[in-house]
Amino acid sequence: MRQFILILSLLQLAMILSGCYDRKELEEQAYVITIAVDKTDRDNIFRFTFEIANPEVGSSATTPSTNEPAQEMISVLGTDFLSATSTANSSVAKEITLEQVRVVIVSEKLARSKEFIHLMQSAPSTVDLKLNAQLVISKEKAEEFVRHNSPNLESRPHKYFQYMLDRARETGVIPDAPLVRFFQITEGDADLFVAPYASTVKKPKDSYGDEDSYKAGEIDFHGGNVTQFMGSAVFKEGQMIDSLTGEETRYIHMMDPTFPQQVILSTFVDPLEPEYNIAARVQLDKVKVKIDYKKNQTSTIDVYITTHLNIFAIPSTEDYMKSQKKRKILYDSIQKEILKNGEKLVKKTQEEYKAEPFYWSLHIRKKFLSIKDYEQADWSNKIYPNAHVRLHVKVASLEFGKTLRQSDIGRVRD
Amino acid sequence: MELTKKPLRTREMVAIVFMIVGLKGGDTTPALFAEHAQNAIWLGPIVSFLVLLAPFLVLMYLLKKYKRFNLIELTFHLIGNKAGTILGLLLFASGFVALSTDMRNVVEEINYLYFPNSPTIAIYIIFISICILIANKGWETIGSLTWALLPVIVLTILAVLIVDMRDAVGYRIFPIFGGGADVVLKEGISKSSAFLEFLLLPIAYQAFHQPKNFRLGIYTGGILSCILIVSFYALYTMMFDYNTINNIAFLYQESTEIVTLGHFFTNISTFFMIGWLFSSFLRFIIYLYIICWIFGAIFEIKRFEGLLLPIGFISMMLSLIPPSFAVNELIVRETSLQIITPLFLIFPFLLWGAAFWKDRKKT
Repeated sequence: MRQFILILSLLQLAMILSGCYDRKELEEQAYVITIAVDKTDRDNIFRFTFEIANPEVGSSATTPSTNEPAQEMISVLGTDFLSATSTANSSVAKEITLEQVRVVIVSEKLARSKEFIHLMQSAPSTVDLKLNAQLVISKEKAEEFVRHNSPNLESRPHKYFQYMLDRARETGVIPDAPLVRFFQITEGDADLFVAPYASTVKKPKDSYGDEDSYKAGEIDFHGGNVTQFMGSAVFKEGQMIDSLTGEETRYIHMMDPTFPQQVILSTFVDPLEPEYNIAARVQLDKVKVKIDYKKNQTSTIDVYITTHLNIFAIPSTEDYMKSQKKRKILYDSIQKEILKNGEKLVKKTQEEYKAEPFYWSLHIRKKFLSIKDYEQADWSNKIYPNAHVRLHVKVASLEFGKTLRQSDIGRVRD
Repeated sequence: MELTKKPLRTREMVAIVFMIVGLKGGDTTPALFAEHAQNAIWLGPIVSFLVLLAPFLVLMYLLKKYKRFNLIELTFHLIGNKAGTILGLLLFASGFVALSTDMRNVVEEINYLYFPNSPTIAIYIIFISICILIANKGWETIGSLTWALLPVIVLTILAVLIVDMRDAVGYRIFPIFGGGADVVLKEGISKSSAFLEFLLLPIAYQAFHQPKNFRLGIYTGGILSCILIVSFYALYTMMFDYNTINNIAFLYQESTEIVTLGHFFTNISTFFMIGWLFSSFLRFIIYLYIICWIFGAIFEIKRFEGLLLPIGFISMMLSLIPPSFAVNELIVRETSLQIITPLFLIFPFLLWGAAFWKDRKKT
């Protein structure tokens, strides 16, 4: 009898274990990796393109005989993320889930329209969509961007975007832009938000120019995937107003203390032989910003940038390593170059955008006791555009990589 | 079976206080403060704790003076049976309302974030059944269970703190007074009953090995809870900014969702769900038990465990009346807290006055 009861209660356990309402079978899920959103002819109706990953591709657990493609793309009309998902389910047999979305791609046309902010407002209330997904602005239609993008070496789409964004961020040419940052900055209403700018349509600039003064689509390269991540899109009050080059984005990184600290790669003009460039890895200390706020007067903003340089290519073979004098020249020249470019960017933001993308509003907040006072002082409209910004650049150390001295090209040529 | 009659000691009390008060750092209470205080939500609880400190100390003084009583017995002893019953019922009613609104919030949280397709009522029934079943086992079991599960919960909390710290930006704490110093002060005082559990816990004054255990436990636990709540609230401010924080209902879960650990661990929020779920269960087990205890003490019901079922279910029914979670949190909970607060700030002084009167009459 006891055993019988025991077996009965164990059977009941099975009922509990099987779950009821929220049971989800892995087999029945379609994981969306990328959402691309486009503007349509009608207001507040958007075209959503979902890129659904095939989890069987690229995993070592299953037999490689599968002939299914790595991804499936489906494009539907909708008003917000959730309703578009359910529409898309009319053609996808599996249940579409947004939990694994890593990238939200928005076309430039949509980003520049007033509807963009309405679309974004539906993101936080979409339970599935995690706010750490990255926002990317595509130069062409977002749907085309996703369709053109066909990486050869990394066929799994979720890995591709993750690696791609990480690599580009490493060189500092695109900013880190999770959705949550968009909301923090847009709702804070004091700063500009920057998002990565990407393109799959090549319109190369003719000249080589400075190495990173490109925007997406302008780099001239052959072979490989057509996608380029370069530069950033600037948003003011939830609407895109301009795009910046990779070089300018790098300076935003230098001056914004809230970006994760990182090492960026950059080139500088060789001071002794200006036709050559010097390649260096720049390690940035956290930037220090001091704001001297004067009510109804010009405020002064002091920005202290400290860098540690690791130079690994001197094509001019100028001997900077041994000569104290030459090294001094190099120090000064690099400092001057960073200063010049930084000041150019600051001037551009003050005059053209009348707001800054460096998140400096954080630094003035401690001058006020309550949010009311702070909002009355009006950082974005009154203080910043009229402020006097002083950059202080310091190259704290120079390293020369693994070589001890440059080989003497003159003697080689002999 | 009575080897030691009252086996619970200080450590269990610390765990219980920590569970029932400290975990308000992870539910919807911060959203309640964020509405007006904005990025000064972390100052709100400090004000509340300071305001509650005076009545709490008076109560502890009285309990220490009249050694043999718990909260309700003390009331009866000091102000007589009739007035004592009325005051006791008022305390019970306010605790009951707080229980109902809090429970609805937590159930909605579980429902909305983890089981979106299930009906609220199903989750609610499972939740409350588990609470009632475990609470039925008695105070000793609850105490030991809380102590046993404490490591899991503390580990979760520490992990969340460390992980969240990566995305926090210290400057966001400024302007220091958020919505304004006066607003913060007003919010902190009027909503101080969000932590009313401090003044209900003395019902268990006699349930420990020695009353000293209780006192030591509630002080240590209270200080720990205060630190935890304030640091969590400050962290929320530093992660979201002041305008965003007003819009987010479940700050704890949301904060774990936006952080990533490198490439591989991109969705780590589920790791922190287990500890949170444990703690939520424990919190309401303790709370429900205490409410029934108070009710039992008022009407001198010895085996008040039998009350768990009716009180639990009535509480569930009542809390399902507000049409939605937002109404429950922003209207029902806020208003009820504002109404309850004066009672909790005044009643210990009332008892004190009565004690004073009594002493004078004797001499």
